[in-house]
Amino acid sequence: MNDIVIDASGLGKRYRLSHKTRADSLKLWARNLMRAGLRGTSSADTEDFWALHDVSLQLHRGECLALVGRNGSGKSTLLKILSRVIPPTQGQARVRGRLVSLLEVGTGFHPELTGRENIFLNGAMLGCSRSLISRRFDRIVAFSGIERFLDTPVKHYSSGMYVRLAYAVAAHVEADILLIDEVLAVGDAEFQEKCLQSLQRQLQDGVAMIVVSHSVTRLHRIAKRVAWLRRGQIAEIAEASSNLLQRYLEDDCGVG
Amino acid sequence: MTSGRPHVSLIDGLPPRFGAYCCELWEFRQVAVMLIQRDLIVRFRQTFFGLAWLLFKPLMLMLVLFFAFGFLAGFDRNSAAPYPLTIFCGVLPWYLFTNAVPDAMNSLLSQMHIMQKTYFPRAIIPLAVVIVDGIEFFVAWLLFVLGCIWYGYVPGWQVVLFPVLCLQLFLLVASIGLWLSVLNVRFRDVGNLVPFLMTIAFFVTPVGYTLNQIPSEWQLLCSMNPLVGIIEGLRWSLLDGASGFPLVSWALSTIITLLASVLAVRQFLAVERFLVDLA
Repeated sequence: MNDIVIDASGLGKRYRLSHKTRADSLKLWARNLMRAGLRGTSSADTEDFWALHDVSLQLHRGECLALVGRNGSGKSTLLKILSRVIPPTQGQARVRGRLVSLLEVGTGFHPELTGRENIFLNGAMLGCSRSLISRRFDRIVAFSGIERFLDTPVKHYSSGMYVRLAYAVAAHVEADILLIDEVLAVGDAEFQEKCLQSLQRQLQDGVAMIVVSHSVTRLHRIAKRVAWLRRGQIAEIAEASSNLLQRYLEDDCGVG
Repeated sequence: MTSGRPHVSLIDGLPPRFGAYCCELWEFRQVAVMLIQRDLIVRFRQTFFGLAWLLFKPLMLMLVLFFAFGFLAGFDRNSAAPYPLTIFCGVLPWYLFTNAVPDAMNSLLSQMHIMQKTYFPRAIIPLAVVIVDGIEFFVAWLLFVLGCIWYGYVPGWQVVLFPVLCLQLFLLVASIGLWLSVLNVRFRDVGNLVPFLMTIAFFVTPVGYTLNQIPSEWQLLCSMNPLVGIIEGLRWSLLDGASGFPLVSWALSTIITLLASVLAVRQFLAVERFLVDLA
């Protein structure tokens, strides 16, 4: 039985760090080009930086994998590659089924549009058809709890209302795989609890997830496995019930 | 898997093929529809005159050009059709060109925050902008219709070529827009250069005058501008051109437009996946 939904092997992302002025203007570009032409390449002025290096992982149906790691350890880079926002420099990943990435709440929300209009716009950005959003419209509105302000432009919303509406759309998309980057940390405690419960329901329905969060207590409740990223590489991968999260927490707070 | 045959996609960092890319554009058409809807709503929200702006701007440009070329320069004397209608045939396509090319050029940069957070074929962004400007372009033809009623003018059978010429104009605008949009992400210079070039282009494009009003030895050179063939073609198609079909300038325009579209698509597909990294 094949229930692997993400099969990534050897994923790497290289950035070139330039140690001189970047060729942002045509003049500089032309000058650099001429220099490069004269003496081969200009690689002496750049340094390779691997934001992600040789990352392989598999995600199964109905499984939740948590990514932990310090700032700059490559968590977001990995999610961006899997959601096709940026291409990998090395390696490849095979994705089975509909992947929806929630790298931010309210992607594409436009301040001039009303809450109602933004629900449809955001839904489309997350790859949902208009009819699906129409069918789930009432549930989305009920989840967000902002019925009264549905026809108000979102520029007049409070930031709390904004994220509640945005997350409500995200919670009702139809996906086989969800990639979630820190977006759980929105709203008040009651709303966060609601979000966690909706994620647990989706897991039971067989949706697979990769979740990035710094809130370790919350990860305990939904994640089955934890991957610890360090300097762009997977340092450790273990069951969530192991002491990995505890050790990560100590490392993160300690001297490291 | 419960849901029949699941969609499998491979992430390997290689450029997409043209055919597969077109399929994907169709798959994500909902995003285009929503972006178009959004732009149309936002453009006219909180404006007092609303849609009237669509007609007002080309009308004013026509009146100014009529004053300059018709009244002052006297170009209207040897014109078979009412001169304001002749100018409209130049003003309306020019307006699409001068709106849609810069709009498309800036579209990727202005929507970068969306591109950084979610995936869809990026060509949707500039193409949606061109479609929005295209819708405004068609609404603005109402001015021409009103002008025809005013002068009691009825276009002949040549009007069948009108959709073909519009399609050609869209292809030209979309190609230049696509190409400039990716170029603008890498080199912001383009954003400064293009509005300036637009001003120059206005004077070498027969908007307020017609091709046969310039010396014949210059006409071929002038026709290297792909807009010339389209504008002169529109005049022939709608105003029953007394001077015959502008075969040379139209053929040149067609060749340049097709060439531009092939180059633009190739360029776009080659760099599309790096856009977020480049910005």
